[in-house]
Amino acid sequence: MSVSNKPGAERASADFELPLSSAVLPPATARASKSFAGMARPKTMRKISGAWGRRIFLSVMLAGSLLISAMSLPYFDFETLPPFVIEKLPLRFETLWLASLRVHVAAAALGFPLCLALMTRALQRRTAWHRWLGRFTGLLLLCALLPSGIVLAFDAKGGRPVTAGFLLSALIVGGAMIIGVRAARRRDLVLHARALRHVVGQMSVAVVSRALIVGLDALGVDPDLAYVAALWGPVLASAAVVELISRRAPLWQHKFDLVERMRRELSPFSLVLRVRAFLRPLARFGR
Amino acid sequence: MQPLAARETSRFSRARPPPHERRVRVPQATPSRDKQGREFVAFAVDVRFGGDWQENDIVGCAYRGSGALFVKRGDAYFPAAFLFGKSVDRAPGVCESAPDRS
Repeated sequence: MSVSNKPGAERASADFELPLSSAVLPPATARASKSFAGMARPKTMRKISGAWGRRIFLSVMLAGSLLISAMSLPYFDFETLPPFVIEKLPLRFETLWLASLRVHVAAAALGFPLCLALMTRALQRRTAWHRWLGRFTGLLLLCALLPSGIVLAFDAKGGRPVTAGFLLSALIVGGAMIIGVRAARRRDLVLHARALRHVVGQMSVAVVSRALIVGLDALGVDPDLAYVAALWGPVLASAAVVELISRRAPLWQHKFDLVERMRRELSPFSLVLRVRAFLRPLARFGR
Repeated sequence: MQPLAARETSRFSRARPPPHERRVRVPQATPSRDKQGREFVAFAVDVRFGGDWQENDIVGCAYRGSGALFVKRGDAYFPAAFLFGKSVDRAPGVCESAPDRS
């Protein structure tokens, strides 16, 4: 997960929140002549709302992660089993399952806040820190969080649909992490950002899913149904949201360029020039 | 039921949320005797999560003499301390009626 130190365009693309094309304002809008002033405003508003949305998301996820970690402390009490474990028993491979649970909880308690930290611009600008923390987090996820999660998935309550949901989430995290690391090594930072957003998106399922379980319980929904819905919903939704975010910025830039070109084409001055260019040969012919 | 309800508070976890209501049923009118001749009464705990009652969420038995409680998990019975996370061994032969001698 290395980040380019090169200035200019590549440097701008190190901002993982937005791809290169939309991370920098075009010179025309930056100078904001009268005709383009209206174009600069929505772009700035979009950037501001995007930045605040990102901050709120990271803050909520960090709070959720800390809350989950606090609630998971009883898993490390080797004398007393917590209710989550009791309702699973008896298990086929109880010792393996309990060890996997503890590894998974510890890896997630460390890995998720690190992933959130790596998403901040402050850390993305410090490329050396970003690289080393990224490498550590990637190894933690690939070597501890994912294998333990896969073991736990096979004994998930709710049966095969829930097992499939956890395995799909693990597949997205593992695949996106590998793609993201390889992209960073190629200096393809747009793909790196997109892939790592998927990792964070799937890790955010832990928080969203628990919040949904609490919410659906308050609504009196059957807990077995709520468990399945609270898993599959966030897994699919976060993957879709990440894709939308990753594609929205280039699309917006494309629309912006198109509108800008149309304005140039349709401006009164260019129209006069075109009419003059068309009429001038006719006028000469008339002489 | 009170210690169980006190232990199962709502948590931000993947554990099943605590039921909105619990009730205990005693399905048999007269006590049974196990192979060792001890009298026990089978019981079942039903739970409700807002909709209908779900029967037999917990199944077990209570011994009349000692007051010992056992609950079923899988195919085996364990002391009720199991529900409170204590590491307990299975209790073979409990809660199983002795075959009729007639």
